[in-house]
Amino acid sequence: MSDYHGVTGRRAVSLVARREITTRGREKGFLISTGVSLAIVALIVVLPQLLGFGGTETYDVGVTNRAAVPVAEAAQRGAKAFDAEIDWHRVTPAQGASQLASGDLDAVLDGRRIRAQEEPDDALINALQAADREVRVAAALQRAGVEGQALSDVLSAPALAVSTVEAVDDERDRKGNFAFVAVIFLYGQLLTFGYLVASGVVEEKSSRVVEILLSSVRPRELLAGKVIGLGLLGLAQLLLIAVVGLGLAMALGALDVDGDILVAAALALAWFVLGYAFYSCAFACAGALVPRQEELQSATLPLTLVILVSFFLSFAVLDDPSGTLAVVTSFLPMSAPMVMPPRIALGEAPAWQVIGAILVTAGSAIALIPLAGRIYSGAVLRTGSAIKLRDAWRAARS
Amino acid sequence: MLELIDLTRRYGDVVALDSLSFSVAPGQLFGFVGPNGAGKTTAMRIVLGVLEPDGGSVRWNGGPIDLATRARFGYMPEERGLYPKMRVRDQLVYLAELHGMPPAVADRSAGEWIERLGLSGREGDRVEQLSLGNQQRVQVAAALVHEPDLLVLDVPFSGLDPVGVDVMSGVLSDIAARGVPCVFSSHQLELVERLCEAVAIIKDGRLVASGTVEELRERGADRRRVRVAVEADRHDWLAAVPGAEHLDDGPRGTLVALADGTPPERVLDAARAAGTVSYFSLERPTLTDLFRAAVAA
Repeated sequence: MSDYHGVTGRRAVSLVARREITTRGREKGFLISTGVSLAIVALIVVLPQLLGFGGTETYDVGVTNRAAVPVAEAAQRGAKAFDAEIDWHRVTPAQGASQLASGDLDAVLDGRRIRAQEEPDDALINALQAADREVRVAAALQRAGVEGQALSDVLSAPALAVSTVEAVDDERDRKGNFAFVAVIFLYGQLLTFGYLVASGVVEEKSSRVVEILLSSVRPRELLAGKVIGLGLLGLAQLLLIAVVGLGLAMALGALDVDGDILVAAALALAWFVLGYAFYSCAFACAGALVPRQEELQSATLPLTLVILVSFFLSFAVLDDPSGTLAVVTSFLPMSAPMVMPPRIALGEAPAWQVIGAILVTAGSAIALIPLAGRIYSGAVLRTGSAIKLRDAWRAARS
Repeated sequence: MLELIDLTRRYGDVVALDSLSFSVAPGQLFGFVGPNGAGKTTAMRIVLGVLEPDGGSVRWNGGPIDLATRARFGYMPEERGLYPKMRVRDQLVYLAELHGMPPAVADRSAGEWIERLGLSGREGDRVEQLSLGNQQRVQVAAALVHEPDLLVLDVPFSGLDPVGVDVMSGVLSDIAARGVPCVFSSHQLELVERLCEAVAIIKDGRLVASGTVEELRERGADRRRVRVAVEADRHDWLAAVPGAEHLDDGPRGTLVALADGTPPERVLDAARAAGTVSYFSLERPTLTDLFRAAVAA
């Protein structure tokens, strides 16, 4: 006989949490998913640089007749206005046809026609059309006797100045990209770790180990330990992805990682914590209601759908980050964790909305925890068949 | 001392336990038997606090049981339960710590039980990689690793090969000899009879008999019985003995029940008069006999 007298609630929670972290964290599946996530974030950062998205596109144009040369020259001069660069050289019609076919040329200027293999980019067409107009206008003006300084004044008049009522954020596109990536990872992380909580509960239920566990710890402590342990693991994974992603983006010059972005990243992590607190309890209940892994998919379907809808809503919000939809979905606990981070990143969320959304989501999670604890307690030991939510609720009361 | 007092439990309309009471003394190996569905698992789950009773109570050393007391109990559920993907040693250390053992002590104790139960060399394996017999051994270790003050085992012998049964019997006897009461349920009544000092027989959630096997014999079997094997020409030799009743013919001979006042020698004399006697013995009722009688009543 010995004199160990059980564990305190806090020690039980920390033991359970530690087991989740050490066993899940060492699982091959977890390590692979971390690697895949890092690869994805690296691709997102590196690919646009390699493919030249968002930069200027270079087009090769063949010119078959002397008359079209001024048009090609004008197009080359004016291409910059269309985010394009145009190189041209003379070709025979036969060369033009074969180089179009081989992809060496993007278009051939053939008299009054533009020939191309497939439908050419708008930027190229617009540049060529504008150049053609310029050449003809210049010819018409010369015929009308406008020459010398007067002619060049007309042709190279300064472009119209653009001024906006609201200040233009030069970084807006890049912040938008950051917000887009943040939403994707928040979505993936909430879904993955919510599901991990549910399947962990089912594992304990279907292997019946829960019966041994519950003879030494309370259901609430088991639930809390599992949720906290997996949450910490999810947060650590997300943090790693954020550090690697931002580090790469900074190193490659894809994103100017300033204080705004760092704050936005930190807030995105904080929103993961809030969203996870809200969803994980619900996922734990879904897991407690079914006896086998095979039935988990259908039990978690409603939750998965809610996350998916929130995910799509956050794209709508990305387009119009200060609209009515954005404000409304910020105050719903199921969508706020995915809607708020992009709004914050874009600088479109007033402080009162940020604070309000945090209070609503955190408050909902705190209110949900005892409910989840009760449903979990009522359901987790009933291993025979699936349990109705109402029965689990009643079972816990008795 | 473990006491179950008037335990009652219903599942909907089904009465699983109906005012069940019995007690288990320190150091006692206690057999808990009954037909399938009699309520054994329900009673054990209530003792471990895994289930709440609708009525009645369980007391340990005279007091009510809370979570801290319960952490000192060892439990092996009927539906075996371990984390399939967790390694044997990690699993045992984890369970020991959950029951309140300090990490270093938990680790040492896990090592001792791994060795004791013949799992050396397997401590790094995942439970799902083990044979069923070895999984069962880990399950036993899980119940014992935190040095419990009370052991509750639900059908611990099912699924064990004869060597496993011997190991398990030895472990239980040792634990009981240290003063730890061991309650276990089983359908292997010969084993229960051999191991246990006391038994409880339940049926439909009610206690139908409890006490030492000897006490049950005295109470349960109202007639003495003899078994006799005789090579005789005639089969009606027994008819000459008043108060003797033919029960059945087994491979070891004829089973005869004796009325009070009929001494066994009278049967032997009649048998010898009829032919050559190759076997004669007084039959003590086995636990199986007592069980059948108690459950049939």
